[in-house]
Order: sequence, then C-alpha cells, then structure tokens
Amino acid sequence: MSISRRLASGGLIDRSRPLNFTFDGKTYGGYAGDTLASALLANDTMLVGRSFKYHRPRGIFSAGPEEPNALVTLRSGPRAEPNTKATTIELFDGLKASSQNCWPSPQFDLRAVHQLAGPLLNAGFYYKTFMWPAAFWEKFYEPAIRASAGLGALSGLDDPDTYEKSHAFCDLLVIGAGPAGLAAALAAGRAGARVILAEEDFVLGGRLLGDTAQIDGVSAASWAALAEAELGTLPNVRILKRTAVFGAYDGEYGAIERVSDHLQVPPPFVPRQRLWKIVARQCVLAAGAQERPLVFPGNDRPGIMLASALRTYANRFGVTPGRRIAIFTTSDYGWRSAFELQKAGAEIAVVVDARAEVSPEVRKLAGNAPQFLGAHVSDTSGYRRLTGITITDSAGKTRRVAVDTLGVSGGWSPSIGIATHLGGKGSWAEEQSAFLCDERPPGMQIAGAAAAQWTLAQALENGALAGAKAASQVGLGLQAQKSIVASDEASGATPMWLFKGSRRKAFVDLQNDVTATDVALAAQEGFRSVEQLKRYTTLGMATDQGKTSNVNGLAILAGEIRKTIAETGATRARPPHVPVAIGAFAGLHSGKHFKPTRLTSSHAASAALNATFVEAGQWMRAQWFNAPGENDWLTSVTREVKAVRSTVGICDVSTLGKIALCGSDVGTFLDRVYINTFSTLPVGKVRYGVMLREDGFVMDDGTTAHLTADHWVMTTTTVNAGKVMQHLEYCHQVLWPELDVQTVSVTEQWAQVAVAGPKSRDLLQALLGDAFDVSNEAFPYLACAEFHVGNIPLRLFRVSFSGELAYEIAVPAGYGEALFNALMQAGKPLGVTPYGTEALSVMRIEKGHVAGSELNGQTVARDLGLGRMMSAKKDYIGRTMAAREALVDSNRPTLVGLRPVDRSHRLRNGALLFARDVTPAPDTNAGFITSTAFSPDHNHWIGLGLLARGPERHGEIIRAWDPVRSGDYELEVVDPVFVDAEGARLRA
Amino acid sequence: MLDLAYISAFSGLRSIGDGRGVIARERRGIAIATVMARKGQGTALAAAVKEHFDINLPLGPHGSGSVSTSFLGTGPGRWLVTHDAGTPRFVERLAQQLEGLASVVDQSDGVGLLRLTGPALLDVLAKGVAVDLNTTAFPAGSVAVTQIAHMGVTLWKVDETPTFHIAIARSMAGSFLHWLEASAAVTGLVADG
Repeated sequence: MSISRRLASGGLIDRSRPLNFTFDGKTYGGYAGDTLASALLANDTMLVGRSFKYHRPRGIFSAGPEEPNALVTLRSGPRAEPNTKATTIELFDGLKASSQNCWPSPQFDLRAVHQLAGPLLNAGFYYKTFMWPAAFWEKFYEPAIRASAGLGALSGLDDPDTYEKSHAFCDLLVIGAGPAGLAAALAAGRAGARVILAEEDFVLGGRLLGDTAQIDGVSAASWAALAEAELGTLPNVRILKRTAVFGAYDGEYGAIERVSDHLQVPPPFVPRQRLWKIVARQCVLAAGAQERPLVFPGNDRPGIMLASALRTYANRFGVTPGRRIAIFTTSDYGWRSAFELQKAGAEIAVVVDARAEVSPEVRKLAGNAPQFLGAHVSDTSGYRRLTGITITDSAGKTRRVAVDTLGVSGGWSPSIGIATHLGGKGSWAEEQSAFLCDERPPGMQIAGAAAAQWTLAQALENGALAGAKAASQVGLGLQAQKSIVASDEASGATPMWLFKGSRRKAFVDLQNDVTATDVALAAQEGFRSVEQLKRYTTLGMATDQGKTSNVNGLAILAGEIRKTIAETGATRARPPHVPVAIGAFAGLHSGKHFKPTRLTSSHAASAALNATFVEAGQWMRAQWFNAPGENDWLTSVTREVKAVRSTVGICDVSTLGKIALCGSDVGTFLDRVYINTFSTLPVGKVRYGVMLREDGFVMDDGTTAHLTADHWVMTTTTVNAGKVMQHLEYCHQVLWPELDVQTVSVTEQWAQVAVAGPKSRDLLQALLGDAFDVSNEAFPYLACAEFHVGNIPLRLFRVSFSGELAYEIAVPAGYGEALFNALMQAGKPLGVTPYGTEALSVMRIEKGHVAGSELNGQTVARDLGLGRMMSAKKDYIGRTMAAREALVDSNRPTLVGLRPVDRSHRLRNGALLFARDVTPAPDTNAGFITSTAFSPDHNHWIGLGLLARGPERHGEIIRAWDPVRSGDYELEVVDPVFVDAEGARLRA
Repeated sequence: MLDLAYISAFSGLRSIGDGRGVIARERRGIAIATVMARKGQGTALAAAVKEHFDINLPLGPHGSGSVSTSFLGTGPGRWLVTHDAGTPRFVERLAQQLEGLASVVDQSDGVGLLRLTGPALLDVLAKGVAVDLNTTAFPAGSVAVTQIAHMGVTLWKVDETPTFHIAIARSMAGSFLHWLEASAAVTGLVADG
C-alpha cells in the first residue's frame, strides 16, 4: 500500500467521485478533476519514466503542457497514444497508462548503463562517435541508436476512432482562460463582440486554479467559476475547453479540441478530436507564462519540480508531492510558493534564494522555514527520488539538507510562441527578464503574463483592456468596465542562469538530456547561433519544444560566447505550438473517404450484374462483368469484346466530361481551342477534336456535337474533365471575353450509355420504337439529335470508340438506371452484353484510338498520327509552340501498332523499344509500348507504342526490352488500326 | 413507348442517431437550370426576369424568388434557377422566355437538392463549410458557392430558423450523405419524407 499524499481537504477535485486507474499494471485511486500526474503524485508515485539518452530516472516536473519528463503511453491496443503528457491527461475511470523508454520498468531500467557511456554521449555524439567505419552507418549504428533512443512507440494498428473538422468565425479569439484571458473575454463579450475563448485545460482559470489569492472578495478559483458562468450567459461567447490553439496563419488560427480524450471510449458518433479552423478578426493571446527551472548540478532527480507546479498540485489538486520540501529560487514567486505550500499543510524545510537581497515582506512568506540568501543548491542526492540537497551559502560554506522534494523557480518566460508564427521573433526585454513579442500577427494583442504583466492585478487589468480594445476595433462601443480588485503580490526576479557545484550533470533540457556542458561544448566547437545550438545539441526539440529549456539554454550560450541575451536571440517558434495528431488533419477523409466517390446512375444495376469496379479519377466505373463460371478477368473481358464485335454491348460512359457551350460565337471559340475546324460543323453533327496546351503538347481529345444553332456539347476524357472546363473558362474570361460564349458543365445532368456492335441499331430501334428513326439514311455516322419521348428528353450521338457501328444515348441522370435496365431488357433477344472499361480499352487499342496512355502530356498531335488534323487556315492555342524544331523532328516517337513475332508472347505496357541489332541503352532507345491488350479478334496480344519514325517502319521487326519484368522479345511494327481499317463498320 | 422510372439523387437519405438536431428532406421534382447572361444582355435580361417572374434579378451572391421560382446568384452573369411548381418542361419554357438574353441549361438531374433545418444545423454545417453562416455575415437570402468535404456545393439560406437549401452534384450524393451522417448523427439526423 503506497502512502497517500492527498491533503485531507481542499483542492478543486470532486472527492465524491473517486476513480480507479492503472499505471504500469498497478491500480491506483484518484478523483474526478485530477490529472494523471496529480493522481500519481497523490499515490506517492513520482518516478514515471526514464530520460531520452541516459535513461536516468525522471519524475513529474510540471503541472501543465510544458512537461518535459512525464511522457506516458495512454491506453493500450489500437487506442494507445504514445508521448502523452501525464500533466495534461484528465483522469477518467479505468484509465490505463504505461511508462516509456525504460525496460523492464522505470524503477529498474537495464538501459541505465547508458549513463556509464555519458562522456561519449555529449553534444553531437552521433557525428563524432559513429564515424568509422562508414559501412556501419546504415547497417549497425543507425538501427542500434534507433533501438535504444526514442520515446514511445505507435501501436501499428488502425485507429478505431474518428476525427472531424469544424470552422468558427469570431470578432475576437482569446487564447487562454487564465486571469487575463477571462478578463478579455468578459470585456469583449459584454460589449457584444462574437468571442471564442479557447482553453487547453479542462477547467477555466489557468493560474487562478493554483492560487489562493482573492479577487473581488472571493477566492481566485471561485472568481474564475463566476466569470465562466457569466460568459455562459452571453449568447455571443463560445467557450472551447480542452482546446489548444496550435498555430496562427493568415487571418486564421488552428486549434485542436480533445473532445473524447478524457473518456475511455468516445460515445457513439462523437469524434476523439476536432480540428478547428478559427477565423478571427482580433485575437488576444493570453497564454500565460512558464516558470523557468534553474540549472545546477544534479537538477534532474525525481522530486525536483517547478515551484509553481508544487503550488498547483497543493491548491488545485489537494496533493503535496513530498514530505519535506525545499525551495530554490531567484524570484519572489519561489517565496510565494513556499507560503502557499505551507498554507496547504506541507513542510517547508528550507528556502534558498540566490539573490543577496530580498525584501522583508517577501521573506516573511517563508514563515519559520530556514532561509539562505545569496546561496544556491550546488548538489543533490538520491537516485529514484531526491533524498537531499547541498546548499552553498554566500560565504562558500556547504551544508546538506535532507528533503524529498525541491521546488525551483527561476522567473517566468512568457508564452509567446503563437505570436511569432507569422515570422515575428521575440526580443529580450532586460527589465522583465523575458522575451517579449513586438512584431505580432495583424489584429493580435498579447495580454497578461504572456506580455510580462506578472502580478494578478496587472494581468486582470491588462486582459480587460485588451478585450475592450478588440471590441472597439471591430466597431463596438466602449463599455464602462467594472474594475477587478485583486490581492497584491510581489513580482521581483533576477535571472541567474547557471550554478556551479559538484561535477554532476546540470541539465538544461530534461526531455533531450542536454546539459550545460553540452551547450558549452557546442559553443566551443563553433555552433554559436541559437539555431545551430538547437540542431547540434537537440536542445528544445521534441514534444515539449523546449518550453522549459530554451531560455536557459540560450542564456548559457550567451555567457559562453560573451554576448548579451539580446544579441544571442531566440530560436523561431513555428506551428504547431502543441503536438497535433495527423488523424485530426485528415478528419473524416481517411480510408475510402480520402476523396469523395462519384457513382454513375447505373452503379447499382451494374453491381447487380456482378460488375467489378475500378476508380477512374473520383468515379467508380464497371471494369468488367463476371458472368457465371468466370473467374479470371481476361475471360470476362474477351467475352465482352467478342459480344460487341459480333452482336451488341452496352457500356456506361456518363463519366466522360460533358460541357455545354452556348452563345453565337461558340464556333469561333472552338476553332481557337481545337486544332481542327468546328465553325463549319452543321447542326446535327458531331466532330472529333484535339486541343493543345499553350506549349503545343496535346491536352485532351473528345467529340463536340452541334445540337442547335447556339448550343453545343463537348465531351472530354473522364480524367481531364475538370482541367478542360478550367481551360475553357480561362480562355473565355481572360483571352477572349469579347466572344458571346457561355459554358457550364453538364456531366452530372446526363447519363450516357454507349450502344455498340453490329446489332446496336436493332437494339435502339427496339428501345425507341417509332419515337426516332435510327436508320443509316436518317441518322448516319457522326449524326446527333435531341428529342423527347413523352416528357423525357433524350440525346443520341452516332459516335464509336470501339470501331463498331455504335451510338451513345443520353437521358437526364434520374432516368439513367432505368435506361440501362431498359437497354438490357430490350436487348435480351439480341443477346446484349454489358461491358466495362477493360473491354472498352481492348477495342480502342484494336481500333488504334489514342487514350490516356498516349495523351500523356509528352506527345504532340503528329506523334499520335493526328498531324493532318492541325488546321493551317486558322490560329489556335498551342499552334506556334507546336511548330518548335524539336516537336516537328521526324525522329520523334510516333504512334504505331505492335504485335509479337512469337504470337504466344504477352506484351506489357512500358517495355522499351529498340532496333533489332542494337544493344539496349538510353541513347539507342527508340520508344516504348504505351498500351497493350489481348485481341480476341487476332487471338494474340497486340499493342500500341510510340516509336521513332514509326510510320516509316511498318513491317520492320524490332526488339522489346523489359528488364523490370525480364522481357526481351521481338515485335513486328504494324499499322495501329488492327480492325476494320477502312471504317466500313462505323458507317454500316 | 419508352417508359423510364425516375430515381432521385438522395434516395439514400436516412435517419441516424438520437435527437432531431438536423432535419433533412430531399426536394424532389424541382426544375433546375443554369442561366447565363448572353454577351451584353445583362440589363435586358433583368428586365425580362422582372417581366416574366416579377423577380429582381440578384446581382451578387443572393437569392430572390417568387412563390415557386427562385434566382440564385452563383457568379457574375450566372444564376441557378429553381422552380418547384411542377410546370412541365419549365426549363424549356424558361429558355424561350429568355431567348437571346440568356443561355439556359437544364440541370434538374445534375444536382441533388436538400432542405436542411434544425437546432444543430449551424454547428453541423460548420463541420464542412468554411463560410461564416451566422446571421450577421450571412442573412437569409444569402447564397454561397463553396465546398463541403471536397465536394462543390451551392447553399442558400432560406430563412433564419435557420433553413438552408443545398445543391450537390448528383454523383457525389453518397459521399455527401457520408459527411452529413458523420457530422449530424451526434445530435441526430432525421430524414423527413
């Protein structure tokens, strides 16, 4: 049974709600309102982990998000969350946490042998120790270092929880709900401003929660509760608890709300965390300040903590972390902490102040405890827990005092990180001994301790002023503010950066095991800028980002290089201010919801026909349809192709981009965007067109139909639909605004089905009956029409991608599924077969039609055998650039058909092409295979490729070399059109 | 005679979660058209709209409407028109009425329409919409062409209850419902009708 360090009464915990939790397999008790750290301390568990490099025992050091030591893995299994700060984990019933970076336990860690290697592990040891031999770098040193260093590990399992995002807009964002933040929110909220108050903690109040001061005649914590109650009554104020603002961006702030982190499992439909994007016109940064530790020999033992944290544990959580507490300070706050701890019932063994002079009023705060002025702690003892300190007094005399806890107080560092995210930097203010931020994001004020307004009264007044100013900045009248009366307190502090004493390590950065000697060594080796110091020693890196170590580190560096702190400067803080889970940035968009999915109207009908689907951009398209008994894709695809070539097949082609072009100048417009002429296209006709980019390369192809005098409809490839729409908008709005052209996407409006094969006309006739004459005479190749059947508008196009007699029929998308089913029904007597994108692809390759593999952004029209389409009678986008020397070079790889000399050989996309007698090498390469298919018509594999001087080489035997897939075989170069070269079927 | 059954975009709309935070109803049978002013015909178009519909054509991101027909400004010289009185071939008629003044393109099947209301609606919409929908910034009648969860949407505030109408590309209806369900279930999503 462990000793209870819980005070008999007091604190803001709810003693009527006891909670059980487990740490490293051992069960403990705590109360609602505890953090994991406070509950562990209440159970006399100080030692919670081992340090990063030396595996030294480490205890809880702070009471907030600045914690460098107490990193634990929260939960287990897929919900395990490594590197979570015990000081910010809200206790819940059944909580399970475990220590990290130690084996088998924090009490007994085998890797503590690292301490023996201490002299080797100093600053830059990676670069010095693991130099030779070079062959060891990757195979031995790196794995060994990675295995022994590092913090917690990920579970490697899928996260079972969800994350979401939200947006918020306000006149004023207040960051931090301590005294200044609450005062600011009250002032602006009362004036009618839309206020968002974001607080990282689960209770509002900040330092008020750890303080026994009086405000307006009530305790500080009660005042915070009253302020929260008033804010709650204001409809224009929103309070976001458990929400850390992590970054300032242009006019926006990022924040992470830990919605369910304090629960065992999130309730149904509730996310674990919510990422907020907050658009704020004004901002008050009231993030407070962090107490600075002191750097002295042996300053990392479990039991050495920030003095303010001791005060918080006592007043907020009703816990005294130790039996006999010493205070080592260079500020009046250390004395104040001693006072508060005594008041809470703790025993103060000694107060050591490094300052020679301290006012009598401040000294009174220590009560009867022995006091040493002008003295410092020069050594400590104890391994798993502090057992004593050595004090060196002003005369140089040393004495040892037995204590189990030491509170250190080196003054305060304002938390200005967020203010510097847009490029500003803190500058050293000698008078306040702190980095303050003058260059802030637009609309941001800094208030309270973050602006070095140290006392409670100052913070409250300063916050209220900032809130009122923000309200007036957004055009709201100034309200007479109630003045807030707070008890007075002393705030003197003299920073002192390094205390000498024993030969023990004096740690600057507890999280990264960086010592004062490391800083000195870095300076000695020439790493004299703070940014270099950070990277060379790792000072200020990792999860705490040096919140307790940066200022001490750079101050010691300044001393080493004999510069002032102002001259030395600080490192630049960048977002995120606190760690944010990647899952929160993804929000709902994980797994198959990474991007929206687009479904065609025939999706369900296709699924019912056993379609296998493939992603085409965001669309899901039927790739092939499994008939009973078929279990490999090639069998299905071959059957589908044969059906189309012999009878009739249908295929949903709704995914192709469809763009309506309206107005009297569409013909002119199309002439300028396509390489071929469209202005001459009569109403009722369709034409194939190719458009180029400005640089002369092919951008996209498709057909455009002239429906009525002022109404055309263009089709694009599925993948390029958005890009072409954008291109047309650009051309119209920027290049030729004088044209009477209006464009709008109608991709979603029309469901379109290709009906292909020698019996396609019979099928359409069966479907449409007398409603429309589809005979060759009435509706020849490349005709189009728009008509109604009943009240349903239909569009019919006689176009063919397969090379067969074919049509595309379109209806408004709401009728799409019914059309697909009606075609299947009407085609039953004809043996209609649904076909997917694979069969479509096989047939277009057989027909020598180019598609995505050939329109690859590196081909010009001539490469694709489309050079003759390039009109010489008009100008069009890409014309001039397409005439560049390199683009008209006759040696350019040009479209050819390919078939294996050994007909049983399978062709594969991407195989490189060479003349038969050359050795494969980059400079002898003559092109590559772009598309391949098994041709049911020819009963062997065929391909399309881009081959240097291709059209001249029909009949030549060349070599395909495919080293990746061990292919090396001969190909015959042929015409790219493998079926119906005369095009008789199209016109049948 | 070809007789095809009609399937609306949001046939998959369903209730989820406890409570009535958001009440969603698919607006079915609405005629929808994109109306785009012809070159130099803006003034004449406004006059024609006034004459035929007694509507002041909005010249910004606003909607204005009569009992059954609304014009929503979605871009310079561009409106989304909705008509819910069931007039047969409304879009064709509209094209004739505005002949020479505007190009009219049928979108009745291109977008699915939802009517959303309920006490949690603004909080739910905030999970997708990066536009301030508060009354002070987005009063009733306002229109936004924006996106939700990477899907383009057109939304307009019908009244301050608040009630929103929202238009989403038909093919993305399933993905949109995933977003809506995931965002609204916590306060309850009720599929109404």
